[in-house]
Amino acid sequence: MQDTQLFNEGFALMGLGMGFVFVFLTVLVIVTTLMSRFIGRFFPEPSADATAATPRPAPAAQDDALMAVIGAAIHRYRRDRRR
Amino acid sequence: MIDKILTLWTGSGLYNLSPGQAVMLAVGLLLLWLAIAKKFEPLLLVPIGFGGILANIPEAGLALSAAEQAAHLGRPELLERLASALRVSLEPGAGIEAWRHTLSEALHGHPAPALVRAANDAAIDAGYAHGMLYHFYSVAIASGIAPLVIFMGVGAMTDFGPLLANPRTLFLGAAAQFGIFATLLGAVGMTTLGWMDFSLNQAAAIGIIGGADGPTSIYVSSLLAPELLGAIAVASYSYMALVPLIQPPIMRALTTKHERGIAMTQLRPVSKREKIVFPISLLTLVALFLPDAAPLLGMFCFGNLMRECGVVERLSDTAQHALINTVTIFLGLSVGSKLMADRFLAVETLGILGLGMVAFAIGTACGILMAKLLNAVSKAPINPLIGSAGVSAVPMAARVSNKVGLESNPHNFLLMHAMGPNVAGVIGSAVAAGVMIKYLG
Repeated sequence: MQDTQLFNEGFALMGLGMGFVFVFLTVLVIVTTLMSRFIGRFFPEPSADATAATPRPAPAAQDDALMAVIGAAIHRYRRDRRR
Repeated sequence: MIDKILTLWTGSGLYNLSPGQAVMLAVGLLLLWLAIAKKFEPLLLVPIGFGGILANIPEAGLALSAAEQAAHLGRPELLERLASALRVSLEPGAGIEAWRHTLSEALHGHPAPALVRAANDAAIDAGYAHGMLYHFYSVAIASGIAPLVIFMGVGAMTDFGPLLANPRTLFLGAAAQFGIFATLLGAVGMTTLGWMDFSLNQAAAIGIIGGADGPTSIYVSSLLAPELLGAIAVASYSYMALVPLIQPPIMRALTTKHERGIAMTQLRPVSKREKIVFPISLLTLVALFLPDAAPLLGMFCFGNLMRECGVVERLSDTAQHALINTVTIFLGLSVGSKLMADRFLAVETLGILGLGMVAFAIGTACGILMAKLLNAVSKAPINPLIGSAGVSAVPMAARVSNKVGLESNPHNFLLMHAMGPNVAGVIGSAVAAGVMIKYLG
């Protein structure tokens, strides 16, 4: 008898849980879609700008790193030579 | 002289090694072998396996609390004090071994926290201390902190771009959670049939394995069924490692070759603003509808916001690398500490491992069926294979979708499309966890 009750409770939890997960994610789909549309309409991102802006700093950073590596290599080379 | 040698012998690990401990040491070594030779989730299985070995060293008691150690080693006077602290009675003529047994049983049986504190105090007064792994466990897992910090790191590693470009994939993440609840029902059903003995709380904690999300399962079982934590953590992490073996046969069985070859339209670019606003709107929904999921999803959103906002690079970097690695070490060792012979070696563990596998398979199947449904009703084509990524297991499940897709159509790259349901699965299983905690906690 108690076992049947346990099973029923498990069943209730399943219905409730699955229902809630679906409702929550449906609301999330709606909110996300609205949010995307809102942002797309009122703050349109100049996409050309975005693509142009991102690559530019990247080479600069790479150059810095490259310069540091080259500098270190020259330094070590000279130091090793002196010995 | 011979007495001294005898003392050394009776205090040795070999003398005290119980058969259960020997088995668990072998299990620990097996986990290490799987991690090192087979590369199964090595980041977790190495600490878990090693923690399991440490926890089962005879007499060292690394994973025991002060009271448990005192019950095992203490003098009769101390045992009497422990018994009075725990409010259990010791039979006067039963002998000291029987007393030790009664006390250990009483401590394992989850007495009220106040009684445990009193017993621990009595043991500490007598000069016993908590074991190292016991400390790790209480700081990292019993407090709930380690899974939450890991969730923050996962948030900081997650790119919601594919999900934002195609929000409908959230439904796939929802469908795959059916595995969780079906397994819960399975565990309850086994109890009804008299095969196992699981309470509803335990059944819920076992079901969460179907979410294929390690931190979520550890968090839920630490709240609902701490006594099953070892088996649940081992099951959920092993199945995450087994994703590439478990999922493809189910995916092939449920789809036709034509469906597997469906090409999906390219995802639209997602602006930075959308990515920044998304974690905040998700958190708002959690706050409005399911505050019980707030610890998990709150940390997740926080990590993701740090990643996307672009002004706290250093914090985001720490959350993704240094912090998550540190916490993983302690989480693994703490989970390993739950692999103690007398608690892990039970029929229930086998039941948990079996049910976990079922949970996982059902989740995969439901995700695929949901994807077929979406494909039937929507204008844009959806390849059913991405549905299987709805069980979390980021990013392994998405890679499996990609791989199976490439088998049918070598020009069809599904990876980015599958990342959407994959992160949706993380959100879905956290929501499911929140519902369980709300209902049972």
